[in-house]
Amino acid sequence: MVDLLPVWIAVFCTLGIYSILYRENNWFRLAESAYLGCAVGYGVSQDLLYIRNQLIAQWSNGGLAILLFVITLIVGVLWYGRFNKDYFYLYRWPLAIVVGTGIGMALKTVVFTQFLDQIIAQANTPFFVAGDIGGTINNLLIHLMVPSILLYFWFTGTIRDSGPMKVVGKVARYTMMAGFGSAYGYTILTRYSLFIGRSQFLLGLPPNAAEARLAFMVIAAVMLLSMIGYDMIAKKEQPE
Amino acid sequence: MSIIKKIRDLDTRIIYALAWIFVLFPLISPLGLPIPISADAIAWNNYVTDEVQDGDTVIFSLMYGTSGMPELFPMSVATMKHILEKDVKIVVVHFWTEGPLVFNALLGQVDPADYGKVYGEDWIRLGYIPGSETAMGSLATSFQKTVPNDYVERKPLDSFAIMDDIKSAEDIDLIISFETGTPGTPEWLRQWNTPYGVPQITGCIGVSVPGMIPYMNSGQLKALMPGLTVSAEYEVLLNKPGLAVAGVDAVSTSHLLVVLLVIIGNVAYFMTREEGQ
Amino acid sequence: MKMSDSLKRIEIPIALTIIATLLQVIPYYLELPPVKTAADQVATLSLTVVAMATFIGVISIVQVHGKRIQRKSEGWPFSIIVVLLAATMILTGLPFPEVGLGVDNAIFQYLFINALTPLGGTMYSIIAFFITSAAFRAFRAKNIESSIVLIAGTLMVMSNAPIFVNTFPIFADIGLWIRNVPNMATMRAVMMGAALGAISLAIRTLMGIERGYLKGGGEE
Repeated sequence: MVDLLPVWIAVFCTLGIYSILYRENNWFRLAESAYLGCAVGYGVSQDLLYIRNQLIAQWSNGGLAILLFVITLIVGVLWYGRFNKDYFYLYRWPLAIVVGTGIGMALKTVVFTQFLDQIIAQANTPFFVAGDIGGTINNLLIHLMVPSILLYFWFTGTIRDSGPMKVVGKVARYTMMAGFGSAYGYTILTRYSLFIGRSQFLLGLPPNAAEARLAFMVIAAVMLLSMIGYDMIAKKEQPE
Repeated sequence: MSIIKKIRDLDTRIIYALAWIFVLFPLISPLGLPIPISADAIAWNNYVTDEVQDGDTVIFSLMYGTSGMPELFPMSVATMKHILEKDVKIVVVHFWTEGPLVFNALLGQVDPADYGKVYGEDWIRLGYIPGSETAMGSLATSFQKTVPNDYVERKPLDSFAIMDDIKSAEDIDLIISFETGTPGTPEWLRQWNTPYGVPQITGCIGVSVPGMIPYMNSGQLKALMPGLTVSAEYEVLLNKPGLAVAGVDAVSTSHLLVVLLVIIGNVAYFMTREEGQ
Repeated sequence: MKMSDSLKRIEIPIALTIIATLLQVIPYYLELPPVKTAADQVATLSLTVVAMATFIGVISIVQVHGKRIQRKSEGWPFSIIVVLLAATMILTGLPFPEVGLGVDNAIFQYLFINALTPLGGTMYSIIAFFITSAAFRAFRAKNIESSIVLIAGTLMVMSNAPIFVNTFPIFADIGLWIRNVPNMATMRAVMMGAALGAISLAIRTLMGIERGYLKGGGEE
């Protein structure tokens, strides 16, 4: 019996979230509250583990390492000035250091990774591919589409009404629409993949616990009947 | 009210019920549809088979949590089984909070000991490192300074034989990253590929795929595993059908439902619009 | 001007941001070993600073839900669940394996495997239903542009499903074409534009013009 409890809890949590599909209800709010509490608690445990590991390592290094780490801990404590109006300004100091370090980390290579490398790839795309008419057409289209979209983004306002920009704008918009269609198709794949994974669990398909199927049927019936029954009673009690 | 109008104004809960039916039915009663193998699956399989050489050091990173498990877990398991068959050193590290516990679930499916791998000599776990891109950059500079202890035995990294030759990104030959968002491939490329030239292959959820294609086209990303369907194809190529293959029939029926609803919805819209006009 | 007033000046965090940014950028382009060492050290220590912010979320939740419980506002029993589970996960997850606490603690594992994992997986999967409903109600070919989205999207859905690809293998080629040509062009242009935007945002931050991240507290 005790062995079945974890499976029933997991099924209850799953169906609690799915119950929102019928309507807003307390099963969903219960599951949502559980998720919020567990997620927050889990994140804290991982962060504290990292701090402890660093503390032990820096302590064993001794000297300057300990001093730097103590300063780091003091800076870290300043985050909590956020919760006091008089000391709110202290919260900005660790934030500034973290934001600055993050910006610096990204800034030093973003111009290569997401700009120059892409320009190089675009420039290296040949206009004509010998013996491959499909490849040639695709490359010509890429050479047409990428600059069109860039020009569309960069030149806004009345310039878009000029003759050449109207054509550029059309090419850009149609290209982006096709790109968004692609994104939609992949979004369907992702969301249904997630749903399929949960369904495999609810049906107790291997490697999930087989007991989940019975729990699924029972808990789903209880939730649905409770919501439908509540709606019927509420409807009856409504003044005509 | 005409039947077309009734269809156009169909209760949303009926659509939800149809989604349940179209997904549950093929899971309960598999259709056994053949799985066509795509170029993506072949490219991934070929890269891991041919480009990952014996003696290489590989970073294996689960950059996702429980929310991404249904789509990314099957490909993570299959790839782990594939690289464990090779004589490579594996460093497991995560920059997502739930990564370590997701990896625990992976260990429930794949035991490196079954492949003759010894912890501390052939593979090691570094756990979760907070800080997103800053953490990734810090790790690239120095493993030992960023992660003082391993995740399993909580001992200093230098006490493990595997770490004798692993000090920074310069000692890594490949990054294998499975991810659902940020931090992810752009951050890996900025902190590992651009400064140190470490090659990377990425398995991602479908939603992330469009954003990965420019990196594939430019050669910054060497191979891409885009979602559950290709994950199933990879399992077929490895001759190790698993979670992805089990779910792929449901992918077909659910997508069929979406296509039918789009067509019916548009037909109903245009017919009732004409009636209204 | 009092000492505390001068400490409250916005110029201090702006200066810290500038120093932290330049400390990371300069050693990448110039060979300055002492600066590189300092930059690496700051980057590593900043990870601990980030980790120390972990209780901000917890305190915020306790403030919001604690108030709700205290005032017995609407939904207050659910707030008890939030606070109780957060406290349980935090306490059992404290990094003291010597006394049986930490990620290997039985209660912590129980909650992670049987509550957090199914809840997390389900929360994002529910969008599948909403997107299906949107496909039926909102995905309309009203003009050329929406028609292109509709057709490209539908073809992409078909190319991702073995049932269509087995019947008509051309769907796989069409899907690949949409992904590798118009989608690639769109994403490349977006990526380049976003990179320029990120660089200009970084420069504005370095110049102290961009201060949005420092807002709050009822003062500038």
